[in-house]
Amino acid sequence: MMPSFEILFPKNLNDALNAISLYKEDVHIIAGGTDVIPGLNQESKRFKNTRLLIDINRVPEMKGITVDQEKISIGAAETFSEILLNEIVQKKLPLLWKSAGTIGSVQIRNRATLAGNFVNNAPCADSVPVLLAYNTKVEIESLNSKREILLNDFLSAPYKTKLGKDEMVTRINIPIPSSKLNGDFYKLGRRRAVAISRITLALLISLNHNMIDEIRIASGAVTPIGMRFFDLEKFAEGQKVEDQFLKELSKKLGEQIIQVAGLRWSSEYKLPVVQQIFYQLLKGIERRSL
Amino acid sequence: MSEEFSVVGKKIIREDGFDKVTGLAKFADDYKYEGMLHSVMLRIKEAHAEIKSIDFSAIEKNESLFSIITSADIPGAKKVGMIRNDQPIFCNEKVVTPGDVLAMLVGESEAELRLLLSKIKVDFTPLPVLTDPQKSLEKDSILIHPETGTNLIVHHPLRKGDIEKGFAESDEILEQTYTTQLIEHSYIEPEAVIAIPLGTSQGVKLIGSIQNPFTTRRFVANVLNLPLTKVRVQQAHLGGSFGGKDDTMCILSARAAVAAVKTNRPVKIRYTREESILESYKRHPYILNYKVGYSKNGKIKAMKIDILADGGAYVSMSPFVTWRSVVQATGPYEIANVHTDVRAVYTNNPYTGAMRGFGSPQPIFAQESLMDEIAARLEMAPDEIRRVNGLKIGSATATGQTLKDHEVNLVRVLDVACGSTDFKTKWEKNKKNKSVVVDYDSSSPILNDSQFIDPGDLIKKGIGLAVSFRGCSLGAEGIDAAAAYISIQNDGSVYLDCGLAENGQGLRTTYSIIASEVLGITSDKIIYLELDTGITPDSGPTVASRGTIMGGGAVKNTAEILRERLVTLIKAEYKLADEDVVSFSENLVFSRRKGLIAKFPEICKLASSRGINLAAVGWYKSPSVHWNEESGQGDAYFTYVYGCQVAEVSVNIATGEIYIDKITAVHDPGKVINRLGAEGQVYGGVTQGVGYGIFEEVTTDKGFIRELNFDTYTIPTSKDITEIKPIFIEGKESYGPWGAKSLGEPTLELGSAAISNAVYNAVGKRFFNLPLNLEEILLSKKLRPADTKRGSLL
Repeated sequence: MMPSFEILFPKNLNDALNAISLYKEDVHIIAGGTDVIPGLNQESKRFKNTRLLIDINRVPEMKGITVDQEKISIGAAETFSEILLNEIVQKKLPLLWKSAGTIGSVQIRNRATLAGNFVNNAPCADSVPVLLAYNTKVEIESLNSKREILLNDFLSAPYKTKLGKDEMVTRINIPIPSSKLNGDFYKLGRRRAVAISRITLALLISLNHNMIDEIRIASGAVTPIGMRFFDLEKFAEGQKVEDQFLKELSKKLGEQIIQVAGLRWSSEYKLPVVQQIFYQLLKGIERRSL
Repeated sequence: MSEEFSVVGKKIIREDGFDKVTGLAKFADDYKYEGMLHSVMLRIKEAHAEIKSIDFSAIEKNESLFSIITSADIPGAKKVGMIRNDQPIFCNEKVVTPGDVLAMLVGESEAELRLLLSKIKVDFTPLPVLTDPQKSLEKDSILIHPETGTNLIVHHPLRKGDIEKGFAESDEILEQTYTTQLIEHSYIEPEAVIAIPLGTSQGVKLIGSIQNPFTTRRFVANVLNLPLTKVRVQQAHLGGSFGGKDDTMCILSARAAVAAVKTNRPVKIRYTREESILESYKRHPYILNYKVGYSKNGKIKAMKIDILADGGAYVSMSPFVTWRSVVQATGPYEIANVHTDVRAVYTNNPYTGAMRGFGSPQPIFAQESLMDEIAARLEMAPDEIRRVNGLKIGSATATGQTLKDHEVNLVRVLDVACGSTDFKTKWEKNKKNKSVVVDYDSSSPILNDSQFIDPGDLIKKGIGLAVSFRGCSLGAEGIDAAAAYISIQNDGSVYLDCGLAENGQGLRTTYSIIASEVLGITSDKIIYLELDTGITPDSGPTVASRGTIMGGGAVKNTAEILRERLVTLIKAEYKLADEDVVSFSENLVFSRRKGLIAKFPEICKLASSRGINLAAVGWYKSPSVHWNEESGQGDAYFTYVYGCQVAEVSVNIATGEIYIDKITAVHDPGKVINRLGAEGQVYGGVTQGVGYGIFEEVTTDKGFIRELNFDTYTIPTSKDITEIKPIFIEGKESYGPWGAKSLGEPTLELGSAAISNAVYNAVGKRFFNLPLNLEEILLSKKLRPADTKRGSLL
């Protein structure tokens, strides 16, 4: 059941930061509300004592998608629908664009934000593996401070992040990837739309004459939170793209997932399938690169 | 009337369509009354427990509380049921499943009332929980309702011919076991009802999301100990039902009515999705054992069937649901020797009752999978074996009924389905290209090199089919008749009403078409009245795909009564010869000899001035059927419909995903009244069939449901099925309006088997357990979390 609470609609960032600094406890930021509202309704412990919601939709500093030489900067209040409509995202960050299109339904995408997806930090958050693969940085502000950290460091545990009580994510900064990086994103759900992901994988590779120059591998829903596989990446760099190696790499991903997540009720299905999907992704990139 | 129709068979837009898409239509929760109270339900987190006491003292003085409604407030029957009175309105002695309600709080604010629930102290003794229906009949099993002395709800035997002789004459014998799952109706509108007290002389009025207003009236009158006339039930616009707003809504209505009478205030009950899924009944899971003997030429000689249905905690409709199963369990095949036993048993699981399909989707999955398997063993094509055994005119069904008085179009729907999909060619080609899904070994979760799938091999195409016959309407379940009311006004406009209920299926539009065809008036002249048990004659429940055949028959009969009165008047007034023929069309009246005589409104005005009664109640009663309980023999239904669906699928052999490329649905529903409505039935039914086949399952942990909302209970979206193609074969039929029969349920009963057979065609692997979800395809089993907890809620 929905508890009673207040809701604020700050008109600028300063007002928003002021509000959060005053209340600190029992405050939640709301943009689309696609996690917060069901959480309140279902009396999730995370939202149970909510007394104040701060709606960031009218904060201009948290809107818009801007581009400069190095990065694409996405406001924390940008929805997935807005991201899908952005041609630069489509061109420069094709994996993000693809994953944005797999989130929920049109109605959910019209409300849900990219920032909300990782601030909520559900294990199945569709966009997280992609953002990790793009080495995304998170811009965080409080009334007295401003910092930028890697998303990889920001995410700490399922439904937990390094966000301070008086802090807000204001922007998402994604370094423009080298044009040599080629990649793909795959989401497996129980149906084709409005599906909670069972497995997500993001993969970016740059090849140098059939040799792996750089590789970035990230997963979601098969590990406690979305994560990068740095060891695996190191193992693969400098290797030749040959079928036998791609199989070996896929098996190693399976092994790493067991190490991180252990065996769970779903492992019997997910483990073989994640190796197969990863192998398919690798083969797809190999095919397109040749 | 000749075979030429002016409106019947055309594509007519629903008469309530505009109101529904623009939001003008009022659903139950849209009704609000002065002084109306809200209600919340008290439950405990137990599937089986004896209640020792309920202590309300902590909340009694709370100002949010207006009244506590308990079993003690019920003046009449404290237990109710469709067939057996085993379900308490309030479970003050015992809970037998987690949805059970102990008491109800009413007050001004639903939100405030909810806060009080945790303060009520319930003292109870937990009892052993029985969740496996296969253990229900074991000697030492706990009895769910000890007063009945057994957990057996019902046993339907059927004996035809000599089963042992049949097996002895067979060249081969095949035995298989199939299971089907518990599923939820998934109506988009959760339950809602308002009870309004009308004072001691008038009783109580209910407005609600009610599938069967007359059944609800019977329940509520029984609970309140009032005559039927003092309970008036009006149907609000219904946001879906699919058989699901029957018992549940009767019980909710009774709770609201008890509270309204006690408080003398209007009382509303409305459920959240979670409460809806928790408490409402579902479709029966079945365990089906089939043993079939057949000759080398494919002829089935003998079929022995043993079916166990999980009825859950209450009887509900189980005896009737399983009765349809016993009649139809062999499928549409003529088999000389049949031996069937269908049993339903009690458990502490969510209770099961009526759902669109009603005892047919389960055996069809089994028997149509089985027919394909026999065909494969004999190296026959799927359509061939069905032609060898399929019912034809004059065939005897498993119940010994000879099929007559209608075109038995089973082979025809099969031929049309195969022809329009190029079935044989695709089936042969896929069979050649098939590659098996990888068999994973759970003991070594890391793949070996040979298990990796070449990208070119990833997606496999398959095509499969399934056929069915289905008895129309209630059959030997009970009395089968319906009434309609038409009142023609002196300006030529018309009121129409029927005792069967609009459940979203488009029944009002169908009836308007029938009335407008008979009276030769355009549909804009017809106003369809809402169903109100105080005004409309009782026509039994709107179930069993009987809306068109029974209610449609009643509307046609009523319109014809009035038409005859007008013809008699016209012949006298216009001095027409006895042999002359009067016809009505486009709001005009013609004589064959004299041509145009008058406009329809002029005739109505004339009739009115002559004192002729232009209101009538018409009636349609089904021909009689009969049934022998001991032998399972008899004319079970007065007529049947036939269908064939072809599923074309793509299977991802790495992930186990099934994509539905196309479903071709060929049905003989008799005469089609509204082509648009009929197509709508096919689109909806096929989609539900796909959900049943590959996605949907309500799973439980010690009786507790895991999937309490649509985030985890996955029904198909518009993206999950690429194309649905409806084709109608309008077979001749003696009964129903112009031979119109049934379509609603046949459309959803074939999908699971057709898909499973298509997957076999793609990957060469057979499936025995619905749904064919990701894990089933790859691992041939279901995987379940250890409990009902969810990470997002921790």
